[in-house]
Amino acid sequence: MTATSSEHTAKKPADTRNTGPGRLLIAVYAVFAISATARAGYQILTKFSEAPLAYVLSAFAALVYVVATVSLAKAGRTWFKVSVIAVLVELIGVLVVGALSIFDAVQFPHETVWSLFGRGYAFIPLILPVLGLIWLYRRRPAPLEA
Amino acid sequence: MDAYFYIILGVGLLSTIICVVAGILKKAPNDVTILSVAAVELALLVYLVGSIVRVIAGERIAGEAWEFWGYLVTALLLPLAAVYWSILERTRWSNFVLAAVGVTALVMAARMNQIWY
Repeated sequence: MTATSSEHTAKKPADTRNTGPGRLLIAVYAVFAISATARAGYQILTKFSEAPLAYVLSAFAALVYVVATVSLAKAGRTWFKVSVIAVLVELIGVLVVGALSIFDAVQFPHETVWSLFGRGYAFIPLILPVLGLIWLYRRRPAPLEA
Repeated sequence: MDAYFYIILGVGLLSTIICVVAGILKKAPNDVTILSVAAVELALLVYLVGSIVRVIAGERIAGEAWEFWGYLVTALLLPLAAVYWSILERTRWSNFVLAAVGVTALVMAARMNQIWY
């Protein structure tokens, strides 16, 4: 990188979210992406017929965590939008599945990451999207110049 | 819970506390925090070698064997990934990344113990 371009980036922060607190956020998302993918894979390969709906949801949650991890690590406006969508879907998912697992225990008897608002994971699945949205808001791309 | 779990519990908690304190003190990852994560890796390696010896000696894993080894191999990769991720950008936040290794390792060790017995 040349001196002029680094001066330029120093004045106007680059459109990235993978520095500072963002690195911790990405690390935690990565751990959830790995564990959710492994768990969903295991559930679907060994006992899918026991609770197809719960295990499809497990796989969906895993996909959301993978997309969130990758998009948070990438720079640029498009990846920012992908991050917002992934984190919002995660928030809605943990709220809806969390509520359903309490009120409709028949349909959701089997554990997913989002069951009981992520109790099995120290409620991190509930806290993570909130922190994610705060971080995305603070590092939102500058408005396009007209 | 067996001795392997308690070793990882002790080393993992200690590493997490060291890294969190270093992060709160606004320090970048240094020898102390990185070595504490290396100690977690060492504890996991002890678990790996011990488990291989036990299986060769004829002990049987009560749960799914491949699930146990999957957890162990993943846990072994975590400290390496965290150290790599934290030295790419040496800020206080990287110490919080390192802090996550200890607790994650102890949760995974607890699960490994459940699978084994």
